[in-house]
Amino acid sequence: MGLAPIITIHVPGPLRAYCAGAAQLSISAHTVRAALEDLQRRQSALYRNVCDETGAVRRHLNVFVNSDNVRDLNGVDTTLASGDVVTILPAVSGG
Amino acid sequence: MADRIILTIGTKKGVFVAEAAKPRRSFALRGPFGPGIPVYSTLIDTRGTPRLYASSCNPFFGMKVLRSTDMGKSFTETKSAPAFPKDDGRALANIWSLEAGADKKDLWCGVEPASLFRSRDGGDSWDMVPGISNHDHARKWQPGNGGLCMHTIIRDGNRVHLGISTGGHYLSEDGGETFRASNQGVGAGFAPDPYPEFGQCVHKIARHDNAPGRLYMQNHGGWADWTGPGGPRPDIGVLRSDDYGHSWRSIAKGLPSDFGFPIVVHPHDADTVYVMPLEGPTRTCPGAAPAAWRSESGGESWSRLARGLPKKQSYFTVLRDAMDIDRLKSPALYFGTTTGQLWIGREGGEQWDCLFDSLPPIHNVKVAVV
Repeated sequence: MGLAPIITIHVPGPLRAYCAGAAQLSISAHTVRAALEDLQRRQSALYRNVCDETGAVRRHLNVFVNSDNVRDLNGVDTTLASGDVVTILPAVSGG
Repeated sequence: MADRIILTIGTKKGVFVAEAAKPRRSFALRGPFGPGIPVYSTLIDTRGTPRLYASSCNPFFGMKVLRSTDMGKSFTETKSAPAFPKDDGRALANIWSLEAGADKKDLWCGVEPASLFRSRDGGDSWDMVPGISNHDHARKWQPGNGGLCMHTIIRDGNRVHLGISTGGHYLSEDGGETFRASNQGVGAGFAPDPYPEFGQCVHKIARHDNAPGRLYMQNHGGWADWTGPGGPRPDIGVLRSDDYGHSWRSIAKGLPSDFGFPIVVHPHDADTVYVMPLEGPTRTCPGAAPAAWRSESGGESWSRLARGLPKKQSYFTVLRDAMDIDRLKSPALYFGTTTGQLWIGREGGEQWDCLFDSLPPIHNVKVAVV
């Protein structure tokens, strides 16, 4: 596998306090899973807000690659290409 | 600043703090802190300089523990919240109880799925307590309507009582190292066996320092008319133990319903106990006319306390941690409702007034005199 593509993670407003206020993070990763693992290493506070203790993406969060929910792609094994934008968003809910 | 009354109010939309001078004529309200996020448990830790704690149960980004060192004028997150070991397979879904431990920085925390955590540094780091969290029964407990929650932690020297819905009452007599199910006399309404070893839907447990061995329990009642396997089980909802929780007996006779969530003991009289009966099917007050019920005889008889409360068309629920009592000479009872009202029952519940009537749905009310 060659050099990992550089992608951008878009951080939602409520989570920016956990990554020094950054709205975007630039990282290298072949897959969404690898991107999350990179977050676990480099942005552990942010990672804990995105994934639970088992490593699963929290139930009420959605992860998009560009405009597609990874649920409709290949889940966290969705491959990434250079320039992709990974967006983490809370699911819509009421109450 | 002696003799201030502090209330922590955990709601669906954050935690509020109310404060009053000793006469309790009016309360000033602060908050919400952790706005928009449900708070199911709070703790007013009066050991040394008072500290307030609240669980901020964020359905999106996970659980946080909030701490205030300025009497609820501000809250900040502790450095971490309880979390299961990575290879455990369970993920924290909610924080249901926070209790003070043995020394100033010792905290205990009950969570969903039902497990116990302990912090030795005031909430900055947490360790799972394996004696109950990895108990042989733990993977057999089933969630109740509110989830599989450990909602009650009572410490009494080396004894630790835990209430789990639905798991039942678990007792440790070695400081929390090991636990065993201790449910003799505690009925279950949703299983063919009316008195199983474990799996009861205990709603809340309370005790009094001056009555060694005495415990009161609000269990999941409302099964008097059950016609299914095992037959009816009347009066299993309100119970008492006089042997440190080894066995339990019903004290529900005289109540309009044995279903309810909170149970509270008078601070100066171990024979005086309060419940808030609800209709089982609706979880609202019988006849839509809310009332606290008080026994001054350890459960032998009960009287209705409703002066000042609505007389009709009132359909709220009072949840398991939404009632407490202060420790002044003539104590006041407090309860919060799922419709966002906070009530004070002065003179031990004789006269009720609404302190706040438009808060978010209330999960938790704690009071302390500081």
